[in-house]
Amino acid sequence: MKNFVLPRGWRTLCLGSILAVSLAAPGVALAAGDVVFAVGQAFETLDPYNTNSTGTQSAGRAYYEGLYGFNQDLVLVPLLAESHEVSSDGLVYTFKLRQGVKFHDGTDFNADAVKVNFDRASNRDNRLARYNQFNRIAKTEVVDPTTVKVTLTEPFSPFINAIGHPSAMMISPAALQKFGKDIGFNPVGTGPFQFVEWKQTDYLKVKKFDGYWRKGYPKVDTLTFRPVPDANTRTAMVQTGEAHFGFPVPFERAQQLKDEGKVDVIDAPSISVRYVSMNVLQKPFDDVRVRHAINYAVNKEAFGKVVYAGHAQLMDGVVPKGVDFAHVSGPWPYNPAKARELLKEAGYPNGFETSLWSAYNDSTSAKSVQFLQQQLAQVGIKASLEILEPGQRVQRVSQAPDPKQAGVRMLYATWSASTGEADWALRPLLASEAWPPQLNNTAYYKNDVVDANIAKALRVTKREEKAEIYKIVQEQIWKDAPWVFLNTANNVYLRNKKLSGVYVMPDNGLSYADIEMK
Amino acid sequence: MTAMDTPVSTSSPKRVRTPLNEFWRKFRKQRMAMAASVFIVLLILAAVLAPWIVPYDAEYSFDYDALNTPPSAAHWFGVDALGRDIYSRILMGARISLTAGLLSVLLGAVVGTVFGLLAGYYEGWWDRITMRLSDVLFAFPGMLLAIGIVAIMGSSIVNVVVAVAIFSIPTFARLVRATTLGLKHRTYVEAVSSIGASDFTIIWRHILPGTISPIVVYATMRIGTSILTAASLSFLGMGAQPPMPEWGAMLNEARADMVTAPHIALFPALAIFLTVLAFNLLGDGLRDALDPKVDQLR
Amino acid sequence: MPSYLLKRLLGMLPTLMIVVLVVFLFVHMMPGDPARLAAGPDANLETVELVRKQLGLDRPLPEQFLTYVLNLAQGNMGVSLRTKLPVTTEISTRFMPTMLLTLTSMAWSVVLGMLVGIMSAVFRNRWPDRAGMTAAVSGISFPNFALGMLLMQIFSVNLGWLPTVGADSWRHYILPSITLGTAVAAVMARFTRSSFIDVIHEDYVRTARAKGASEPSVVGHHALRNALIPVVTMMGLQFGFLLGGSIVVETVFNWPGLGRLLVDAVNMRDYPVIQGLVLLFSLEFILINLIVDVLYGLINPTIRYK
Repeated sequence: MKNFVLPRGWRTLCLGSILAVSLAAPGVALAAGDVVFAVGQAFETLDPYNTNSTGTQSAGRAYYEGLYGFNQDLVLVPLLAESHEVSSDGLVYTFKLRQGVKFHDGTDFNADAVKVNFDRASNRDNRLARYNQFNRIAKTEVVDPTTVKVTLTEPFSPFINAIGHPSAMMISPAALQKFGKDIGFNPVGTGPFQFVEWKQTDYLKVKKFDGYWRKGYPKVDTLTFRPVPDANTRTAMVQTGEAHFGFPVPFERAQQLKDEGKVDVIDAPSISVRYVSMNVLQKPFDDVRVRHAINYAVNKEAFGKVVYAGHAQLMDGVVPKGVDFAHVSGPWPYNPAKARELLKEAGYPNGFETSLWSAYNDSTSAKSVQFLQQQLAQVGIKASLEILEPGQRVQRVSQAPDPKQAGVRMLYATWSASTGEADWALRPLLASEAWPPQLNNTAYYKNDVVDANIAKALRVTKREEKAEIYKIVQEQIWKDAPWVFLNTANNVYLRNKKLSGVYVMPDNGLSYADIEMK
Repeated sequence: MTAMDTPVSTSSPKRVRTPLNEFWRKFRKQRMAMAASVFIVLLILAAVLAPWIVPYDAEYSFDYDALNTPPSAAHWFGVDALGRDIYSRILMGARISLTAGLLSVLLGAVVGTVFGLLAGYYEGWWDRITMRLSDVLFAFPGMLLAIGIVAIMGSSIVNVVVAVAIFSIPTFARLVRATTLGLKHRTYVEAVSSIGASDFTIIWRHILPGTISPIVVYATMRIGTSILTAASLSFLGMGAQPPMPEWGAMLNEARADMVTAPHIALFPALAIFLTVLAFNLLGDGLRDALDPKVDQLR
Repeated sequence: MPSYLLKRLLGMLPTLMIVVLVVFLFVHMMPGDPARLAAGPDANLETVELVRKQLGLDRPLPEQFLTYVLNLAQGNMGVSLRTKLPVTTEISTRFMPTMLLTLTSMAWSVVLGMLVGIMSAVFRNRWPDRAGMTAAVSGISFPNFALGMLLMQIFSVNLGWLPTVGADSWRHYILPSITLGTAVAAVMARFTRSSFIDVIHEDYVRTARAKGASEPSVVGHHALRNALIPVVTMMGLQFGFLLGGSIVVETVFNWPGLGRLLVDAVNMRDYPVIQGLVLLFSLEFILINLIVDVLYGLINPTIRYK
């Protein structure tokens, strides 16, 4: 690929016109030990229990910690808990806590703190945006300062995943007391960094916490998060050295940046699946042959190449690789001849007309639906496109009151199962209880085997048994094909060559524990 | 509110000519404007004939092995990020962009001029209401207005035309009102008024012609703005839906590839640029030909 | 004059009241549910309803409107649904960056635009006119996100002379104000030229010439004065548009201004912030119009205030 270079005459002109500017000293000085992150999303509140912003949650991992957390490969690891036990009926979880951990305000982390946090999250009256993640907690009891017992209202086997999620952070009870509702502006946790300043429009700054329980960490003095919504600008900032880390980066530019060689371009797997849901309540998608035909008609290999410049993995099952209990069923082969044959069998020899909506209005999504439209046209399916702006999406997809009247036909969407476990990759999207307006089953898919087993898996605590149940569920869904199974796109990000120990995790969050600057 | 008392030019024609002859005689002299008209005529012709002259289908033909390739003999303007022929898309896009640009400006100009004329001529409460409404409209962020229109009418290119037209109304109204206020108190208007001409005749025959010059100048400028506004609306998911090859939308789509494959952005940008340039030159030419005072200078 | 100003300022109130009502109805008519948007895709219906209560959106519309107006009367514009910060705080932190960028952009673009416009009018149909107008047309028709990206690529990434984002020093202002001001300069140039040509042919200008006034005096004194009136009108309009914050420029240069706030607010259907912003924009427009009218009087004393 070529670099972007201006013609000679142009350059001379530009040089001349800003002569005055060139007198100013070039380069931007950076404070030693300060690592600047250019991130895509702005922070809305710093209270992890009251936001769905992944930006807020990933910055949160710098100053907050939960009982459990995920490592770089999305495997659960104990953080503030040392271990836990589950009662045989799956209702009571007993946690043994790490000792000698202090909050940034100097108070001790102990069982009381856990109780305060879980009581807050599970109390309906607090009206927190993450309520449904904690609504199964019946009560939390302090056994002794390092032991805490949580009782659930019903068995919920992914509970540890739910509390390993970046929203289930331990906030200092003293700070909750002191700041009340303003805790969203004054985070106080146990993480490696402590909060310094948050200027909404500009940056969020945190500094090294000297009392951090992992001795010798962290190894840099301060972190600065700058929300930069434009992807090209984010990229430019890392190129000029104004930022040390940039995420996400346009797929289109990854190769060119790699060839340039000034910064590290990292291409890491993610669990964000790209799929198209087909409304099975409506003709012609009520016919499984049509749904199969569409899966055969789309060249998914080309999809990754055209839209993601190759930075994607084919979807080889309903639940993507990296999420616990994922089962491999595919990938679905590309076979347009077979697609035409199936359409003919289903009574659509000349294809049909339908609509394909994109749930997002970013440029990658716009490219995706256009690609899909081209592919569908190859087998005679004429799809009219519409790119939905967030409010329209909510109005026309999420809030559709009557399933039978819902206007959605084909919907291009993405999903990242933030708990890293199969339940949250299946239940909100494919269980019949999740039809809009409840959750996001935009295919209006309903299968009794799937429903029963998704519910059953929640009560089962043994791994092998659970894996077997989820296998049945995933095989059934793959066979019924309520979705066009597309791919999981990679996380492409930029890192200054001097920076190490910081990663984008498969759930799009950032991991800072080992961060180091040479 | 304002009144200017400046003397009126009293020019007497050397010999009797029809206004159309007169206009053509003057317009012909402007070489740039003539060239621009030729370009616009060709463009309109290309837009009309596009479906028969494009080498590839603008929406459905693709070549994934030639993604982002620069211009070549097979693809005069190169290939875009989805493997489509840019030349074909530009030609087909001329239909959409021209229609959207012209229609919206026409609509905005007509409505705005009517309001502006009435406000300027009658003043009083009608003027106050018109100006107050135009203040409200001015202050209303365009994006918000567009979303509202989409809420009522659904996403389509028609909305773009309506939305962009609505943005233009207050500017035209204000512009025409200001000119009308100035013209109203000129001697020739007052003279016509004193011999008992009706309000309609005064406005239509004696004031409107005087406002044409600023309207034309602003309208020609506005066509470009409209094409670009239409583009940003498309980008927000309103208006022209992909894969419709609307020029502005094409330009916006090329954003991510701007550094690695600049030709994808270059051609729609060039198309917009040349079209806007042509309309502006045409506007200047029209202005000179319509202005009764210009002749005397030569 | 002072009584005129007072009258105009009082006259603002009905307009602002119309704006409050229209915007309130408008935002609630827009498709999209702020509670669902705030709760996000992981939330079920029950949680969405909880969030709706938390945001106070569960109450009947007339009641919400009444509360809003009563609060507004006390200078309280409500709290952002998105960030939970007072709307006044949200807006005021972004107002100055937008204002400063607008001022710097206007300063150079008006001066340059008018100069080019006057040159073009004086040397009408000769090469300075052609060059000036071609440049002006290019300025209008070049999409400004492309200009912004191009400038950043050259001066920040390739040459390393200027910073990419932020608003901390004067060097941060250069690229965004060039990007933002280009279109304004172009509009000003075309408008100045057009209105100059109009007055240059007026009898009083020719009279001045006939009296033997020097050409610079004719242009600078007699023509400029009268040509300025439409130019000032256009200047006011452009100023008002820029004060609304440019979405594109603020996105490309990550400028902490009002345009981005509006985009975020519209995307999340943050009603109080949208209402507050539109109210502010209306106020700005009305004040600018007032200033423009006062300027008319200063430029041409024959204009009477009624």
